[in-house]
Amino acid sequence: MRYLMLSKMQDTQPDEKLFADMAAFIEEMTASGVLLATGGLDPAGFKIESSGDDVTITDGPFTEAKEAVGGFALVEVRSRDEAIELGRRFRKIVGDGESVIHQVFG
Amino acid sequence: MIDARATVGVVWKQESARIVAALLRMVHDVGLAEELAHDALVTAMERWPAEGVPDNPGAWLTTVARRRAVDHLRRSRRFDSTDLEPPDVAEQSDDVLRLMFISCHPVLDRPARAALTLRVVAGLSVPEIARAFLIGEPAIAHRIAAAKRTLSASGAAYGLPSGAELSGRLASVLEVVYLVFNEGYAATSGDDLMRPGLCLEALRLGRLLAELAPDEPEVHGLVALMEIQQSRSAARTGARGEPVQLHEQNRGRWDRLLINRGFAAMLRARATGAAKTPGPYVLQAAIAVCHAQARTAQETDWERIATLYEALERLLPTPVVRLNRAVAVGFARGPQAGLALVDALRADPALRDYHLLPGVRGDLLLRSGRGAEARTEWERAASLTRNAAERDFLRARAATAGTAGRGPELGAMVDEFLAGLGSGTASAYRKSLARMRRALGERISLTTLDAAGVAAVVASLWPDAAPRGWNRHLAAFRSFAAWAGFPQLAAELKNRALPPAGEPVPVDPLLPVLRIPSGVPLRERVLWLMVRESGAPIRAVLALDVQDLDLARRAGPAVAWREQTAALLPELIAGRARGPLFLSDRRPGPARRPGPADLCPETGRRRLSYERAEYLFKRATGRTLRTLRMS
Repeated sequence: MRYLMLSKMQDTQPDEKLFADMAAFIEEMTASGVLLATGGLDPAGFKIESSGDDVTITDGPFTEAKEAVGGFALVEVRSRDEAIELGRRFRKIVGDGESVIHQVFG
Repeated sequence: MIDARATVGVVWKQESARIVAALLRMVHDVGLAEELAHDALVTAMERWPAEGVPDNPGAWLTTVARRRAVDHLRRSRRFDSTDLEPPDVAEQSDDVLRLMFISCHPVLDRPARAALTLRVVAGLSVPEIARAFLIGEPAIAHRIAAAKRTLSASGAAYGLPSGAELSGRLASVLEVVYLVFNEGYAATSGDDLMRPGLCLEALRLGRLLAELAPDEPEVHGLVALMEIQQSRSAARTGARGEPVQLHEQNRGRWDRLLINRGFAAMLRARATGAAKTPGPYVLQAAIAVCHAQARTAQETDWERIATLYEALERLLPTPVVRLNRAVAVGFARGPQAGLALVDALRADPALRDYHLLPGVRGDLLLRSGRGAEARTEWERAASLTRNAAERDFLRARAATAGTAGRGPELGAMVDEFLAGLGSGTASAYRKSLARMRRALGERISLTTLDAAGVAAVVASLWPDAAPRGWNRHLAAFRSFAAWAGFPQLAAELKNRALPPAGEPVPVDPLLPVLRIPSGVPLRERVLWLMVRESGAPIRAVLALDVQDLDLARRAGPAVAWREQTAALLPELIAGRARGPLFLSDRRPGPARRPGPADLCPETGRRRLSYERAEYLFKRATGRTLRTLRMS
């Protein structure tokens, strides 16, 4: 089963240790075949809305910086517990903040 | 709140390969390494709930497990202070690779390799493996325990193989990974999630292997093949669970992410294998890539696929590969060209119960405008498949192709025929007719059958039957056909000549050598030819070792052969560099290990014994091997 983890922007500036730990973690997860895709997101983004026949586009940002999503990871795991453990290790590396994890269907 | 107990279980699955591999380096015994790793796991179960889960739980477990191993080595006085040095990253990778080579060691049979690999590399529990293979837990537990004992008794080398040995050992690992994948992929029964889960386990093993052995094109080929096959998993079955053929699948349901991963793996295979001839996995992956690149079924580059299958057939001339090639040729060069290849396969006994053969033939016939014959073939396919959804699907196809032959159906008529017979005759006929009705098609109308078709099918059913048995099968069908009012259907069935009564069976001992029936395995062919051509003592022939053969001079110690043997020898040697030329089929059990001179270092199998060779010849000819020398 697949899970998508969306992580909010961090307040803190990443230091060299964080970069190194993160790179090692990503390498390990890629090698073990768990991590399918990951990347950072432009926190601003743009919005596309439909209403009747109209489709409107609005440029972001829409939320406070710390509420905006800053990165994602798509993982393929055996169970919810495995997704939780991966998320836990990720949070231990990046420090205070929050991520939201959704199961991906289809 | 994180559930520490759940975390322990999850961490074990993620880390067990690295932990067990690190311990294996120290203790050189898979069973012991796994036990020590489990001790560490128990410690984690005790301490994590109270102390919290460590930041890097895998490293924590490895440290505790290594300490256990040091204690163990101290107790058994095998302690070496270098064991205390934790291995660096590259060594850790080598350790895991070594573990995979050991769990897929050729000294184990295939089911044991698969079970042990899932246990120690993928970290699955015995109940999980049992569910995945639809086998009882005690059987799996026994299989794994026996595999560990065999490894320990065989003294299998723990070093990483190199050179020519590496490719053979790697092939064994790839085979196990693909076996696990297919076990999950081919599963169409059961709703247990563990079976599709096997595909994921195989993918993870393959992706891991690609990092551990990045210079091996076949590894990347296998990964590409699995990623692309897996990308179609959602599109392979329709709404009612029926199979959907590749060219009819909704390509929008193919998983683009996995396809792209497959393409990336294929690029790595090409980059590492540029100078080498592509191996079977790279070729199969290339075929999968062709399909994945076609935006619609019509855009498929069938000419290229047919060419790839031709290359694959040279490496793997299996009936299934040949059948797939026929499908590709049928699309690339027209149904007639495909039919010519399929028809050549109809006499192959290996395919006689394979429902895809008549299924493919039906497709090609329909496209040639021969609907009635297509219908007949799909009926045959339907009665051969064991899968209910597939049977319904094939019946439905049969119903839409051509007009139904009016008249009585074969299956129902046979039942009626047997019911009207005395019990003795009925049970004698039932077995013969059961095979024929399955092969001809349960629902086939007798009016659509013809004598030539019946004769062709019957010939593939019992190719090796002795005259008496053959004639009995034919008699059953003749009797049935006459009863049903269709005696002409048996017109082309020819009896085989029986030996005159009262005399010993005059089987020409040379017959199986001169005109070798398709069922005789290569090893027996070469042995019989060599005995006959050399006239050497049987024991001298069986004593030959690969390294002592002079293929150019056609001679070995005390044995000289001629051209027929020479033509087949390379195939029998199959790249082996040393060890007995003629090997037994099975590997010896730990209690019955022969001396090293009688054991093949590459396959782990023992030298073929005189008794077994004698038995095989007697079974085939009724004579003793010695008669071959006299001839």
